Amino acid sequence: MIDATSFATSLQQAVDGRMLVHPRACEAYAIAGCTPKLVLSPASVEEASRTAQLIADEGESLVVRGAGTKSWRPPVPEAVFAVLDMTRCEGIVAHEPGDLTVTVRAGTKLAHLQSALSRHGQFLPCDAPFASHATIGGMLAAATSGSLTLRFGGIRDNTLGMRVALSDGTVAYSGSKVVKSVAGYDAYKLFIGSLGTLGVIGEATLKVAPLAAEDGLLAARFRSHRDAAGAAIDLARSNLFVWSASLHDGASTKRIDAIPAVASPNDWLLLVRCGGSPATVRRQIGGSARICKARGALELFEAPAREVGSIWAQVAELAGGAAYPVRDFVVAKFSTLPTASAELIDALLVAWPAAEIVAHPALGVAFAHAPVDRSSFDAARLSALWSSLKHREFNAAFLSAPPGISRGFTVPITAPIELQRRLKHALDPRGTFDPGRGAAGL
Amino acid sequence: MDAAFVERLRKIAGRRHVLSEAADLYGYESDASIDRSLPGAVVFPGSADEVAAIVAACNERGYPFVARGAGTGLSGGAVAESSALIIATARLRRILEIDPDNRLAVVEPGVPNAEIGAAARAYGLQYIPDPSSMAVCTIGGNIAENSGGLHCLAYGVTANHVLGVEVVTADGDTVRLGGRVADAPGYDLLGLFVGSEGTLGIVTKAVVRLTPLFETSRTMLAVYDSIEQASRAVSDIVAAGIIPGALEMMDRLTTIAVEESVHAGFPTDAAAILIIEVDGLIEGVEETSAAVRRACERGGAREVRTARTEEERDRIWRGRKEAFGAIGRLSPACYVQDGVVPRTRLPEMLREIADVSNRHGLRIANVFHAGDGNIHPLILFDSNQPAEVERAVVAGDEILAACVRRGGSISGEHGIGTEKRDCMTLQFGPADLALMARVKAVFNGRDLCNPLKMFPTSRRCGEGARKLASGKLSPAMSAAVGPAF
Repeated sequence: MIDATSFATSLQQAVDGRMLVHPRACEAYAIAGCTPKLVLSPASVEEASRTAQLIADEGESLVVRGAGTKSWRPPVPEAVFAVLDMTRCEGIVAHEPGDLTVTVRAGTKLAHLQSALSRHGQFLPCDAPFASHATIGGMLAAATSGSLTLRFGGIRDNTLGMRVALSDGTVAYSGSKVVKSVAGYDAYKLFIGSLGTLGVIGEATLKVAPLAAEDGLLAARFRSHRDAAGAAIDLARSNLFVWSASLHDGASTKRIDAIPAVASPNDWLLLVRCGGSPATVRRQIGGSARICKARGALELFEAPAREVGSIWAQVAELAGGAAYPVRDFVVAKFSTLPTASAELIDALLVAWPAAEIVAHPALGVAFAHAPVDRSSFDAARLSALWSSLKHREFNAAFLSAPPGISRGFTVPITAPIELQRRLKHALDPRGTFDPGRGAAGL
Repeated sequence: MDAAFVERLRKIAGRRHVLSEAADLYGYESDASIDRSLPGAVVFPGSADEVAAIVAACNERGYPFVARGAGTGLSGGAVAESSALIIATARLRRILEIDPDNRLAVVEPGVPNAEIGAAARAYGLQYIPDPSSMAVCTIGGNIAENSGGLHCLAYGVTANHVLGVEVVTADGDTVRLGGRVADAPGYDLLGLFVGSEGTLGIVTKAVVRLTPLFETSRTMLAVYDSIEQASRAVSDIVAAGIIPGALEMMDRLTTIAVEESVHAGFPTDAAAILIIEVDGLIEGVEETSAAVRRACERGGAREVRTARTEEERDRIWRGRKEAFGAIGRLSPACYVQDGVVPRTRLPEMLREIADVSNRHGLRIANVFHAGDGNIHPLILFDSNQPAEVERAVVAGDEILAACVRRGGSISGEHGIGTEKRDCMTLQFGPADLALMARVKAVFNGRDLCNPLKMFPTSRRCGEGARKLASGKLSPAMSAAVGPAF
């Protein structure tokens, strides 16, 4: 233990003075209403590692933060000592268009990266929500992908290597900066989806893709979500290789400008995103229309190619994203087999009638969003949903929920818990990173 | 291996499924790499429970063990050092389920890669990773090595196509990592496991992703008068916004060798050729192949041919797949390297390989996955000439070091195993290796599960290969290795 003043001085030096201590200033970095005592903003992975080590040596704890879009994600901490704000550790380190790879610092905003890549006709093939402020490090820590996973894989599939900082001051690299490498363990994958509980993601090399020569979007209105989910599964099995298929209930559809609202609030809209050469997109749209009609679509609508980008930007924010601000909405994500998507939606409609539902049936994923309002949320009913699904193959997590609501709901962990605990202990022996925040109290 | 332990193995797997006589063990002393070591015994378990019982028995007695699929590995991953027990997956070869609507298959580890594809085809689906040894190499081995293949450029490697595994851990516990359903809570142990070269446990079941078959594929051959132009065309194609299904390159030494043995129709007077495959919907393939042709011609291709018939296409690919075998016949021995550079650095890397070749007075043939920047220089040498062996090994090291200097990797798909463990320090610093060691200790603290692999010993890069090559390489070996690449 060192005295408080010299501890503060060391921390201040570690982040070159970018430290907040005033409660007012720290409030903006609160985690689920808990204001940290300190906010430290390192500008590099080395600074992050030095900071983490100082805090670990004092036996204190640290919450790593990007844009703060998961600040209300349960389980939430009871107290927060320090927040490591990574937004100053930002910028593109290297981008060689001919290599289709980009290396970025963790605090780089997705929107900033996409706009830099687009100048070279490329993009990170990931329509993660909160696009305007989400950071790459945050997306990696939460393993946030979007509906484009159908065509391009998730963020994990597009990550090639990473520099991470551990609580003992280690800065280590694993993976590589090239599109193909099998040298050593892909230890970096452990940090993807780790919710910041193993260490700090400092820098990542990502695989990028060429922008499509042409974009396409087909909207199909269905009376029943079962038919729409069936159409999405048929699309994914077909050789059309569409980019994604996103299913929206009536309330969610209303939030998309430029798409005619469905006539009946009970109707569902399946949005099929296409991309490729112009002739490929024509075939994808035509083929998707046939598949949707065969599954009973009531009406089809094709968006003009020039509007696809802006429409999709809105669609992406409807899957646990900015359309449902984290302070105002309870948001949960459910994953099951694609063929069980319809049944999952059935259960949600019964258990959580106030929720707006957006699903990616070909991926087996559904999001439910409901206002933070006791009347919209019946704990007993949701418990029943949890338990009705418990014996089937599924995963579920709140992405955002006040502590009072999420308490008592736990999701069974299928992963070997003992190995997970040993891993946490091996990489973060003093439990410095976000104690209690990982799955099952990791 | 003592008799009592062998008897215990027989009790677990059945009398017929254990080999312990030296004469029977020689077939298992090597994989397709240059390393070899006689195992203590070989056991062929018939179920996941038997695998778990065998691993538990090894733990009890402190015996090291090594999982083995088809033995096609190219880095010594399945070589049983320390007289380890080989646990062979040959009897675990059932395809348990094809679920077409959820686009997945559940298979046992000993199923050959190509059999998954064949079973999926009936449902209009395919399994994407296609290492050249796909007819025999097993999915368990593919998962251990994170295998690539010819068509990984556009669609990813094994890690991108495995959804879950059931594993017997180094301690003998049976656990599931990942699964049919996405977003499993907790750490991505599956992501760590794929490519861990059998050092973290043994796969007993795998859930793999299936992908719809392409409506059509078109194979093109672009012919160049200079290696420089051909290698530049690779990044020109990609920079034009095209990601072909496959993009392969062969130099003249290779095409001559291929034409002598396979007659694929490659021009033997050209400095280099590119084989480019474009797949997808018919109309899109028309457009994309026209764009590929334009990019190749702009880059100075002397000729761009399109395979007109299925037979012509097969002939081109047969020429590519058998190239290593054909080169093996040019020389008493050959030493294949596997490194990666960013694809925009291919032209300078190929110049450097030519310099290495001149400097050491050794012929080096190049046939490789150009689209990924994954080079496979084949260094031809005479294993009866110790000085030449030495030069071949040094040349290999220099090429790997040059890959790392250009921001690349010491292995794109063959793995580290025993062959390259002492080269890990070229690419990774002490802190990087220490992180890997900490992770390994979580799973395999006693180092009984595929011991000594992947991590550097006290030797320096190339010493292991030098020792082996000087004593053990035979002319037969290079021919035997050939078809596996």
